[in-house]
Amino acid sequence: MRMNLMKIVSATALILGLSVGGAIAQNYPNKPITLILPLGAGGSHDLNSRVFTSIIPKYLDQAMIVKLMPGASGQTGTAAAATAPADGYTLLFSHNYFDQLQQHVKDLPYDTTKDFVTVARLNSARFCLIVLANSPHKTINGLLDFGRANPGKLEFAHSGQWGAGMVPGARLLQWAKVDANMTPYRGGGPSLRALLAGDADFTVQLPSTISGQGDTVRTLACVKDEPVVGSPPTFKSIGFPSELGEMHRIIMAPRGIPADRLAVLREAFVKMQEDKTYKRMMKRLGEDTNLMDGAEYEKLRPIQSETYKTLVESMTKG
Amino acid sequence: MEDLIVSMGQGAAILFNPDTLFITILYMIGGLLLGMFVGALPGLTTLTAMAILLPIVFFLEPIFGIPFLLGIYKGGIYGGSIPAILVSMPGTGAAVATTFDGPALTRQGKGRKALEMALFSSVVGDFSSDIFTIFAIVPIALIALKIGPPELGAVLFLSLIVISATGSGAFVKGLLVMALGLFIAMIGQDPIGALSRFTFGIFELRSGISLLPMLIGLFALSELLLNIEKKASAYMDANLKTREGERLTWPEFRACGRTIMRSTIIGTSIGIIPGVGQVVAAFVGYAAAKNASKHPEKFGKGELEGVAAAEAANNAVNGPTLVPMLTFGIPGDNITAILLGAFIAVGMRPGPQLMAEQGPQVFAILLAMVLANVLFLVVGYLSIPLFARVVRIPKSLLMPLTIIFAFAGVFAVRNNPTDLYVLGVFGAIGYLLRKYHFDVAPLAMAFILGPEIERSVSQTISLSKGDIVGYILFDRPITVAILVLTPIIAWYLWRRSTKLRRENLHITTQEK
Repeated sequence: MRMNLMKIVSATALILGLSVGGAIAQNYPNKPITLILPLGAGGSHDLNSRVFTSIIPKYLDQAMIVKLMPGASGQTGTAAAATAPADGYTLLFSHNYFDQLQQHVKDLPYDTTKDFVTVARLNSARFCLIVLANSPHKTINGLLDFGRANPGKLEFAHSGQWGAGMVPGARLLQWAKVDANMTPYRGGGPSLRALLAGDADFTVQLPSTISGQGDTVRTLACVKDEPVVGSPPTFKSIGFPSELGEMHRIIMAPRGIPADRLAVLREAFVKMQEDKTYKRMMKRLGEDTNLMDGAEYEKLRPIQSETYKTLVESMTKG
Repeated sequence: MEDLIVSMGQGAAILFNPDTLFITILYMIGGLLLGMFVGALPGLTTLTAMAILLPIVFFLEPIFGIPFLLGIYKGGIYGGSIPAILVSMPGTGAAVATTFDGPALTRQGKGRKALEMALFSSVVGDFSSDIFTIFAIVPIALIALKIGPPELGAVLFLSLIVISATGSGAFVKGLLVMALGLFIAMIGQDPIGALSRFTFGIFELRSGISLLPMLIGLFALSELLLNIEKKASAYMDANLKTREGERLTWPEFRACGRTIMRSTIIGTSIGIIPGVGQVVAAFVGYAAAKNASKHPEKFGKGELEGVAAAEAANNAVNGPTLVPMLTFGIPGDNITAILLGAFIAVGMRPGPQLMAEQGPQVFAILLAMVLANVLFLVVGYLSIPLFARVVRIPKSLLMPLTIIFAFAGVFAVRNNPTDLYVLGVFGAIGYLLRKYHFDVAPLAMAFILGPEIERSVSQTISLSKGDIVGYILFDRPITVAILVLTPIIAWYLWRRSTKLRRENLHITTQEK
């Protein structure tokens, strides 16, 4: 008798538990979401994530927890996200160079295109090419002409191999057929120091960094019109054929995520754009709020992959 | 110069405004306590705490928010030396040199003395370097800009030589362990081209060996293993359980005065050179103190001067480290990168314009750093009795607890199971090395500095465009000076250490 009672109680509990569980599962998300950053503390991805993860709970009704997993140029964190269950509770906050360039230079244990789908492009950081104010190179064309006439003479200080500060410069040099000497530094700061100390002829930096330098540097060209740094020409205006120098900060989900859950996430990010606190905090950080919907960003990925493939092939050939 | 003094006066007026001063102090004390807490617990780092709390700063007045973060920063550095002294567990590279004498002092029942010595020397080192920074901000900025890859590489190489020449034990053994450290640092991706090396196809090794589990394994776990072999009475004096431990006396502090001053100067100078940092400062400060001491054989066996030397030096780095961030907007490390984010968020964009446009605000924040040191003296002093109680925990509980904290802490940092293997393996390596009388410190040091030296040498080669000798000789006079100095210093240190060893040998044979 007692046994039976126990059985009934446990069976009821099990059924109740299952039905409650089932009901909540439709109501995604019902527990905190983990956001993996394949990057370290203190960088721009870290700072951006601190801002949006403090706002997004308002639109998802659940917390989003940042988990820093740096290492092996982003491979540690990306691999962890790729092998996580595709239930919408693990997301990845990455950028276009990890997403589409790295596969052409490294043997990766995952395939970013097959393993991840875009939730949203949170924003982008757009780069400018700068020289010292007393540099003999007054214009972007002047710099490139000098480089063509003097192979190997120009010194380009960049933020790290195949990184966001290197690829735009490398693509420009490749397109203009300039053979420059490229030295990698550990991030944007040290490459800026190299320019200021006169160790380099030019570097590629973010407008927010450049505006703090006042009149010690001259901006020769930017991705788009950047009012903060005067009115330099855009890369397009000198004839560069495609998009150049934009780092997309992207939120990705494992590819197998149920369609309804992906829709919930995408909608939350779109809604957050109207949030006054979010806008104010991003503005204070000096970052843009130019969201691109996940579906739209998906179209860019194969194009990026092709572009980077050509770049890598041309650079590793010699 | 006159402008600077005017700005300084206005800065003081902003900070000491009676309407806000009290709230600023409250935020700073909150930051200091929090920093001390996260610094002392393995698994929580000052860096993570600052990153998580950064958004709060966006909503605060600059004069509240920035001092709050500075409080976490300063509290965290001291916090890291608490477990280093009590259970030989360095939470950061900067606390490694503190484990040479701290735990030995704790075992002798002088844990409280060691904690107080660490606090006082930290505060003196930090306070002096902050004052120096305020007055010398412009020259520091100019020097920092001159230090490129060739200079940095030469300075780091010199540091490595100094540290190996003054380590405990035989010089050759030190060099062997250092070579091992350099090799282990090469596992993972190279710092220039990001190509995988020595990973044997194991994915987990691609990111290299991570520092924290290695340090805790090498120092804390090996210490535990060595102690398990000993009898309880040999590990810790049984009478200690009834005593809180004695306080530091004024004559003891006075006796370390010269050492603290020397370490402060070393730490401040190292802080001016971007990219070298607290770890090197602590080691070089310790090495210099040992070298200048009349009884260097006592170092490493529980010498208060050793704790003072390391702690004063690693804290004296703080002031000048902020200068490149403030004057050029170039952060020297991850912590200054977060501070840079905070400055931008409160509307102060670091760079050459900042001093001209917002000089008073900058000085207000620099003066807040000085004030934070004074507050920290009080906060730290009041909290020491709490930490000193750890020595009263019986060995049968303390040792398992330390093991739990070591493993849990290491896992919590990155949530990466690989780190647990690293901890175990380096615990075993540390145990074996120490069992055969090898000093493990050169391994840790080489591991930390190896990749930095490799990076700067590779960058120098790239910068020289093929003519490396000509480039250094004609374009890099500072590098030439350091490279010429290195063998001279090495010879001097080597001669001194052999002379001391011979004298010691002489004394011991006479005693026989």
